[in-house]
Amino acid sequence: MDIDLTEDQRMLQDMTRRFVEDRAPIGRLRKLADGRQLFSAGEWTEAAGQGWIALLVPEAHSGFAESAQGLIDAAIIAEELGRVIYAGPFRSSAVCALAIGEAGSPEQCAAHLPALVSGEATGAWAFAAGSVRGGLAPGGVAVVRDGDGYRLDGTAAFVEDADMAATLLVSAVSPGGVSQFLVPAASAGVTVTPLDPLDSGKRIANVELAGVRISADALLGGFEGAADQFERQLQAAILLQCAETVGVVDRAFEIALDYTQQRLVFGRPVASFQAIKHRLADHVTQLEGMKAVVAHAARAVQAQAPDAAAAVSVAKSHCGRWGTEIVRDCMHLHGGIGMTWDHDIHFYVRRAVSNEALWGPPLAHHERLCQLAGI
Amino acid sequence: MSTEHRDNDEQRAFRLKARAHLQANLPPRVRGEAYLDWEDKAFVDRDRVIQRALWDGGLAGIMVPKAYGGQGLDKRFSDIFYEEALPYRLPWHFGNGFNIVLPVLLAHGSEALKTKYVPAMLRGEHIWCQLLSEPSGGSDLAGVLTRAEKRGDDWVLNGSKVWTTGGMEGDFGMCLARTDWTVPKHAGLTMFAVDMKAPGMTIHPLRLVRGNSDFCQEFMDDLVVPGDHVIGDVGGGWTVAGTQLANERAGMARGWFEGVAASVEASEITLSPEYPAFAQELGIAGDSHARQLIGEAFVIDAVARLTVQRVAGGIMRGTLPPTAGAVSSLMAARTDTRRTALLSELAGPAGVVAAAGGNGPNIGFARVTTHRIGGGTTETQLNSVSERYLGLPREADASRDLPFNQLRHNALQGK
Repeated sequence: MDIDLTEDQRMLQDMTRRFVEDRAPIGRLRKLADGRQLFSAGEWTEAAGQGWIALLVPEAHSGFAESAQGLIDAAIIAEELGRVIYAGPFRSSAVCALAIGEAGSPEQCAAHLPALVSGEATGAWAFAAGSVRGGLAPGGVAVVRDGDGYRLDGTAAFVEDADMAATLLVSAVSPGGVSQFLVPAASAGVTVTPLDPLDSGKRIANVELAGVRISADALLGGFEGAADQFERQLQAAILLQCAETVGVVDRAFEIALDYTQQRLVFGRPVASFQAIKHRLADHVTQLEGMKAVVAHAARAVQAQAPDAAAAVSVAKSHCGRWGTEIVRDCMHLHGGIGMTWDHDIHFYVRRAVSNEALWGPPLAHHERLCQLAGI
Repeated sequence: MSTEHRDNDEQRAFRLKARAHLQANLPPRVRGEAYLDWEDKAFVDRDRVIQRALWDGGLAGIMVPKAYGGQGLDKRFSDIFYEEALPYRLPWHFGNGFNIVLPVLLAHGSEALKTKYVPAMLRGEHIWCQLLSEPSGGSDLAGVLTRAEKRGDDWVLNGSKVWTTGGMEGDFGMCLARTDWTVPKHAGLTMFAVDMKAPGMTIHPLRLVRGNSDFCQEFMDDLVVPGDHVIGDVGGGWTVAGTQLANERAGMARGWFEGVAASVEASEITLSPEYPAFAQELGIAGDSHARQLIGEAFVIDAVARLTVQRVAGGIMRGTLPPTAGAVSSLMAARTDTRRTALLSELAGPAGVVAAAGGNGPNIGFARVTTHRIGGGTTETQLNSVSERYLGLPREADASRDLPFNQLRHNALQGK
């Protein structure tokens, strides 16, 4: 993402970098990881005040989408957040704001968007079955009509930021298609069970919906008519995750490149050995590939181009596989110090590995590409 | 996509001239037709005719100065030409000449060489090749053993060159030879423009592992080169070779076959129908492992193409350093190697055994050699990326500062 940006986008990148380095450095993550502190609501409202969600929301609902480039700008932010292994609910809130802005009624937009923009509300999107490929299609939750309203049943797996959100975006299946709902987390029958993630900066939960009754006005878009909107949100979520992975890997690579040039062994810098140089050369080459494919996916998803679906799956496969490969090797290149809790590199490994596995591991996206190719 | 709407009056006039001339004089571009086939003399000669037709229409050497037969126009006109040329076959057998030799001649050639050879190339009369690698070594280019000795006004060359693309069809070659054996290896080299048809030049096609012969080996036995056919300075051959290699990398980065649509402009990801068709042919399109292989093939193809575009665009706009070109080469090498492995695994026995009478089985062999060796071995590319792009310490080179005649080297190979 670091080339071909407009002047405004460069400013956005600089401002975001300075903000997170000041307000959310790795040291902050370390306090969360040590369990001494929790990510606070106040931290998120301060971050949202940077306009991170506003750029996806129309002016009529307190945003400034009209003067921004939506998901391209959001991807620039996501990349910066990756560099510091940011812990706040950016992606969840961004995707929910996008969904409500695109599919919501005027009343739904008015009720939810200004609070998402200010950060007083945060988002969480629940839909997945708990299987390997579950992250790419609704399947965890079923819906049936129930009088004037609806009833939801099932468990949505691996929901990011569910424990912070007052309202859950739920995508549910019924025989006729996909429907989406805005479900108050406090509804009777909703149980959010936080899980223990590898990534210390993440909050992931299973969301059980046991006979949850919701009124008709909770329906987002048309009943059984949300398949395209679901795909659109999925593309946005995967794009933002891949952009974050680029930031994770870019920073981890910088750290490793710096360390291997400073650190001496047998009287020479570690990075002067051909065995190390060649690995670093392969890493930077695949990292350039990550940047290229994510930049392309950002443009394609923002423009709703015909290849947007393929672009995010290509990006997810490549970023998933190489993100993990490169960052694990960055840890390896640190030798013993990289194995200690006090060194930062393990936070990067945790985020890279988690990003590979969540929102569909590479094999799920390979299958999806075959389906997109018509086989 | 056409950018016709951006034309000013002069550009519009050029576009219309190009459109009319191309339509009247150039053969159509045939889908699936090879860009190059050096073994098919008629095919190569047709490119000479096409280049001549471009010359006749005032469309040859669009960015080459008028003094050397070109049109003296800027890149905008070149872009317009390639937009208009999309439906037609372009003379891609001149790729070495236009991508490498022409910029080298313009940068280092004497006025006499430029005036004589640049227009001849633009008229389609001369196909140029590069005489660089030798049987004694390829990666260590500065270690060439071909000997050039001054006799009167002329130079006399002896030695052997190898891996010359299109050597059989070449009219002239840029040949790197050693003129001083008493100085360190980089300082004793000189670049010559040599006549491939001159007495003393013997050219043999090289039969490659797949049976094809795109490359040649040349033997030079007392080959006489006129004194004024030195390109650059005597002893300055390494500087000229540097320009040559830089242009080769730049050409590969922006797309070797200029005017092919898959250039910097084309941006959409396409999932090649060839992989699904192949799997269907084998009856394994529904097999979950086969689908993993196909899915990964889609991914690596798209990533490689987007990476090459990103790097080429970044270099052009100055947001990436020129040394980033090595990243594209390495990405291409890794991608081709991986694709061959994926296809071999997908094909199974069908990759190594085919029905008699066809072109033979080749999947397990496809591009196995070219992208590990050709255009610089993977190892030299890894060194380029790490040393030039990342700025890591260079490999120690014991031979760098010693006089060449004190170095160990492989034997000069006879005929």
